[in-house]
Amino acid sequence: MNKTLLGYVPNESPIYAVHPFVKLFFLLIVSLFPMFVTAPDWNIGLMFVIIIFMWISRVNMKTLKIYVPVAISMGTIIFISYTVLGGTHPEFELLARVWGINFYWERVRDALVVYFRILPMIFTMVFFLSTSRERDIIVAMRSVKVPFVITYVFAMALRSAGMVLEDFQIVRQAEQARGFDPTGKSLPYKIRQYVMYMIPLFALSLRRSEEFTNALVARGYAFTGEFSKVKRADYILTHYSYKYFDYIFIALIGIAFIALLIFRYGFGYFLVEQSWLMRILHGAVS
Amino acid sequence: MAEEIKTELSAEEIWTEEAGEKRSIGVIHIVITALLIGIGFVVGAFGSISFPLGFGVNFFWTGIVVQQVGAIWFGAWGVIAGAIFPFFSNAIAGTPFYVSLAYLPANAIQAFLPAWAFRRFKLDPRMKSGKDYLFLFLAMVVSSIIGALWSVLVVLKGFNLLTADSVPLFIWGWFGGNVVAGVVFNFILLRALSAVVIRTTAFVKKWWA
Repeated sequence: MNKTLLGYVPNESPIYAVHPFVKLFFLLIVSLFPMFVTAPDWNIGLMFVIIIFMWISRVNMKTLKIYVPVAISMGTIIFISYTVLGGTHPEFELLARVWGINFYWERVRDALVVYFRILPMIFTMVFFLSTSRERDIIVAMRSVKVPFVITYVFAMALRSAGMVLEDFQIVRQAEQARGFDPTGKSLPYKIRQYVMYMIPLFALSLRRSEEFTNALVARGYAFTGEFSKVKRADYILTHYSYKYFDYIFIALIGIAFIALLIFRYGFGYFLVEQSWLMRILHGAVS
Repeated sequence: MAEEIKTELSAEEIWTEEAGEKRSIGVIHIVITALLIGIGFVVGAFGSISFPLGFGVNFFWTGIVVQQVGAIWFGAWGVIAGAIFPFFSNAIAGTPFYVSLAYLPANAIQAFLPAWAFRRFKLDPRMKSGKDYLFLFLAMVVSSIIGALWSVLVVLKGFNLLTADSVPLFIWGWFGGNVVAGVVFNFILLRALSAVVIRTTAFVKKWWA
């Protein structure tokens, strides 16, 4: 199994046949798609495509459970902000009036449009995080010639995030071993106790910064001055090369984006007014 | 009797270079930046997942501690880390890539203002006087107001994610989520660790070294 930023993916997953840059390119470009599409049908379609990619990549779908509360709370907030906080608009079509709150069709529709624009963007991000290892991000950055120092900082940051999580567990277990039990306590109490995690976490990280620095200096690393100009072998890149299908994927993603822009602005496609899903919903609630 | 060795630095001395003292950017500053991004990644994601309001706005954002305390101690390196790490923590918590990217100026300001206030007014990061508390609180409030206005009016409205009527809720959410978490953690953390940090080589007196 390979540990990715969001879980584990089997070694045999076909996603590892793809160059890491292709995944980064997918994230950067496909995240833009929903910004030009207001019809929820297309955005739901995009979500399905990403779910199929996750399934093909053998991503453990259970890791996605953490996003269920996020999706629900975000959906609720969007719905409330468009309906309860939506104000009074006599020009809109009133669907219902509950406890003095007007529910207009246009507001409900707009809430759904926004929600289904956000979800595919989140799915794209989750797909990237659940299939990418720390190393993949470094390779992707180096393959587009991002300067060594920036790549190195990113690599260290990702590495240290893992260490902070381990430290967090250690501190928590140490406190539990001393009898600390937050079960059944109030939220303010838990928040207050959270301070007890923060101080040791910071202290451990400060100590670690010294260790990191000593290790880097001992290996001859320098980010400024003459030594920083020494050309280093990009060892990690020697393990990755672009295959013919990587170029095909990059071209397909690029072409899909250009086609989207042409259809959107040239022919007026992907608009909410053309959404058959919205027409069905409107018919059902009117 | 030999002259007594001075062990306690004054607030003025903390930010002033001593005669003959030479400070320069070192590997440790790069490392500190990376580590702050790492801590912020974890701590910020905790807040984003636990108390979400939506689109990366939270009722209680613990990441503010790393952003502001980090920048007070480590100057521009803390500001850089404070601007970058929310991008990661928001991503993990389910904020779209380009929305997170657009939050960058807000996060940079939130990290920069308290750091600037401490350097400009020679405040003591060990929080020894009422002035230190007052100025830090003001810096937290002002930076969170700017951050909230940018994030909600420029980013979320720019991406057409909010109605005009729901703007106040998100502005209050961003502002309150940052200030409350800052009040809970910033003062305690500064009091607890500043005395140690100001004696390390990683501590930044000006902006870069």
